[in-house]
Amino acid sequence: MPLKKRNRSEQTKKIAGLLLGIIGFLLPLLVNFPGLSFAGHLALGIFLMAAVFWMFETLPIYSTSMLVIFMQVTLLSQQGIIYSDTALPKTPVISHIDGIWEVPSKAVDGNRVYVAEDSRNYTPIEVNVLEWGETVKVSSDALTADTKIVSDIRHKLVGYKPVSFSNFFGTLASPIIILFLGGFMLASASVKYNLDKNLTNVLLKPFGEKPVFIVMGLMMVTAALSAFMSNTATTAMMMTVAIPIARQIDMKDKFRIMLTLSIPIAANIGGMATPIGTPPNAIVIANLSQQGINIAFGTWVALMLPLAIGLLLLAWATMRFFYPPTLERFKMELKSRFDRSTNAVILYFVFGITVLLWFTEASHGIPSAMIAFIPIVTLTITSVLTKDDIRALPWEVLWLVAGGISLGISMENTGLAMWLVSSISWELLPQLALLLVFGLVALMLSNFLSNTVTATLLVPLAVSLGTAGIAGEGFSLIITSLVIGSACNMAMLLPISTPPNAIAMSTGYIHTSDMVKVGAVIGIIGIASALVLATFYWPVIIN
Amino acid sequence: MSDIYIICVEDEPQVLDVIVRDLAALEEVFPIELAHSADEARELIKEIKEDGHKIGLALCDHIMPGDNGIDLMIEMQKDSFTENTRKVLVTGQAGLEDTIQAVNKARLNRYIAKPWDPKDLLEIVKDELTQYVIREEKELLRFMAVLDQERIQEAIRTKGYV
Repeated sequence: MPLKKRNRSEQTKKIAGLLLGIIGFLLPLLVNFPGLSFAGHLALGIFLMAAVFWMFETLPIYSTSMLVIFMQVTLLSQQGIIYSDTALPKTPVISHIDGIWEVPSKAVDGNRVYVAEDSRNYTPIEVNVLEWGETVKVSSDALTADTKIVSDIRHKLVGYKPVSFSNFFGTLASPIIILFLGGFMLASASVKYNLDKNLTNVLLKPFGEKPVFIVMGLMMVTAALSAFMSNTATTAMMMTVAIPIARQIDMKDKFRIMLTLSIPIAANIGGMATPIGTPPNAIVIANLSQQGINIAFGTWVALMLPLAIGLLLLAWATMRFFYPPTLERFKMELKSRFDRSTNAVILYFVFGITVLLWFTEASHGIPSAMIAFIPIVTLTITSVLTKDDIRALPWEVLWLVAGGISLGISMENTGLAMWLVSSISWELLPQLALLLVFGLVALMLSNFLSNTVTATLLVPLAVSLGTAGIAGEGFSLIITSLVIGSACNMAMLLPISTPPNAIAMSTGYIHTSDMVKVGAVIGIIGIASALVLATFYWPVIIN
Repeated sequence: MSDIYIICVEDEPQVLDVIVRDLAALEEVFPIELAHSADEARELIKEIKEDGHKIGLALCDHIMPGDNGIDLMIEMQKDSFTENTRKVLVTGQAGLEDTIQAVNKARLNRYIAKPWDPKDLLEIVKDELTQYVIREEKELLRFMAVLDQERIQEAIRTKGYV
C-alpha cells in the first residue's frame, strides 16, 4: 500500500531530522569558531537545531518554537543554568615601568583589553601592545594602578550580557502578538457570524458574470479578506464560492484551472497587504521594533498595497493568457443574508471601529497593538466570542511567531547574527544586488519551508547587517526587511509552499505543473517589482 | 496516518461485485473490503482494527446465512471501534420491525432499497463519508477530490487551518 510507504519515508525523514538537529546543537559546543563569543556558540547551537527541526518538520513547527524559548531560558538567560551564578574573572594590571603595564596574554584581544566595571560589565579599551610573551606589555592612558581587567577574553560573559528570562517569555505578549490576537478574534467572530461570506457575496456582485471578470472579482475579494483573516480560512471560504462555478465548466476546459488557482494565489498575495495578513509580516515588524523602528498599520498598508495589487493583476493576466475561458458567462447565485442578531451587529461595529483606528494611526498616534485590544475586550465582554471560541483560536501560530521573535533576540545580542553575516564582504555588493540576494533566498526557502520560519531565519541577518554597519552605502534596514517579508509571501510554486496552495491542489482540478507555471511567473516578477518599489517608492513613504 | 475502510457485507457475490463497481471512484482514497457473512465481517473488522486503520462506512445486507445484517450493525454500534462508522442498510427484504430496530439500536444512517440506481448509491456513500471525515478526521485535504468539496471546504473555513 502506498500509504505505508509514505509513512515509512516520513519516519526516515523524522529520524534524520532529529539526528541532524542534535548534531547541529552539539557542533558549536565542540568546535570553537573564531570571532564568535561563547554565548554566540550557544545561540548558534539553538539556531542550527531549530533550523533543522523547522526544515524537516521533525517536531510540529510551533513546538520547535517552544523548544527554542525553553533552551534560551535555560542556556542564555541571566537566571539560567549557565549564567545564573557567574562573574567576570578579574585581574589587576601590574605596573612594569612608567606608563607600561603587564597583563596576562589571555586578557588581550588583538589590540584591546576589557576593563571590568563590576562582576558582569566591562568596557573595551584600545592599548598599544609593546611586547608579547607570557605576560603582555601594553601601554595606554586609560590604565591606572587600580584598574582591573577581564583576565580571560574567552569567558562566557565576554561578548554577551545575559538578559532576564522574562525577555524570552515576554515575546508571547509582545505588541505584534497582541496585534495578531486582535486580528484572530475579529476573524474568528467574522466566521462565526458569516460576515466573511456575506461580504464576499456583496463585493462580488459588481464584477458581473463574464468569466474573466468573475475571476478578477474572486481574486480581489480573496485578497481583501485574507489581508485580515487567515489565508487558509479565506481560501476555504472562497472555494465554496468557486466550486459551484467550477461545476458549470467542462472537466477539460482549462478555465477551470484559472478559477481554482486564482483563489490561493490571491490569498497568498493578500496576506502581504496588512501587518496582520500573515505571520511573516509579524516577524519583520517585531525585528524592526527591537531596533526602535516602529511601522504604523497604515504605513505598512501604504508600503505593501501597491505591490499586492500589482501582483494580483499580474497573476490574473498570466492565468488569462495560459487558461483562457471558452464559456461566455456563468450563473452566479450571490445571496447575502447578513446576520442581524445583537451579537452580529456588535461584531460589525467593532470590526469597523478597529479597522478605522488601525488605518488612522498617524492622526491619533495610538499604536495598532493597543487598538487590537478593543476587539479582544469588547468581543469577549459581550459574549460575541465565548470561551469555546477563544479556545479554538490558532494559538500555535502565536507560539510559532513568538519563538521566532525570541530566537531573533539571541541572534542579535549574542553577536551570532553579526558573525554569520560578517563572513561575506557585503560592502562590495551594490544595494540592489544585496536586496536581490535576500529576496531570492527568501523566495527559494519559503517555497519549501513555512513562510514564517523563513522570515525568522533571514530577517535577523538583515537586521545585523544594518547594526554592524557592514552593508555599504545606502543600506536600509526597513527596506531590506520588507523585501524579505514580501518575498516570503510570494512563494507559491508548489502545493507544499502554503496551506492555500494545498487546499487548491486537493480539489483535483489542477496539476502541480499549473501551479509551478503561474507561481514561477509571480515569484520572479514579484521579486523584480519589490526591487523597483524598494528603489523608487518605499524610500518616499518611509521618509 | 491510517486508512479509512469501506466494508461491504453481502452474501451474494454478484451483488458485491456491483457495489464495488459502483464505488470504484472512491477506492483510491477509501479501500473497500468485502465479507460474505456476519462472521466474516467480524473477522474483517478485527483485522482492520489490529492494523491500526479505521472503518468509515459499512454497507450491510440484511438477510444472510448466519447472523443477519441488522444484528451485526447493532453489535458494531456497541463497539467503540465501530460506533462512529456510518451504517447503511442495503436490502430488499427488511421488514418494518427490523428497520425500526436498525434505526433505534444501531443508529442506522441510510437505507438503500434493492435494486438501486448506481448514482444514488455513490451519492449516499459520498455524503456519509463526508460526514464521517468532517467529524472524525483532522487532515481533510486528502478527501477533497472524491467527497463533497463544498462541505469539506466549509469545515476547513470554520476550523481555520488544514
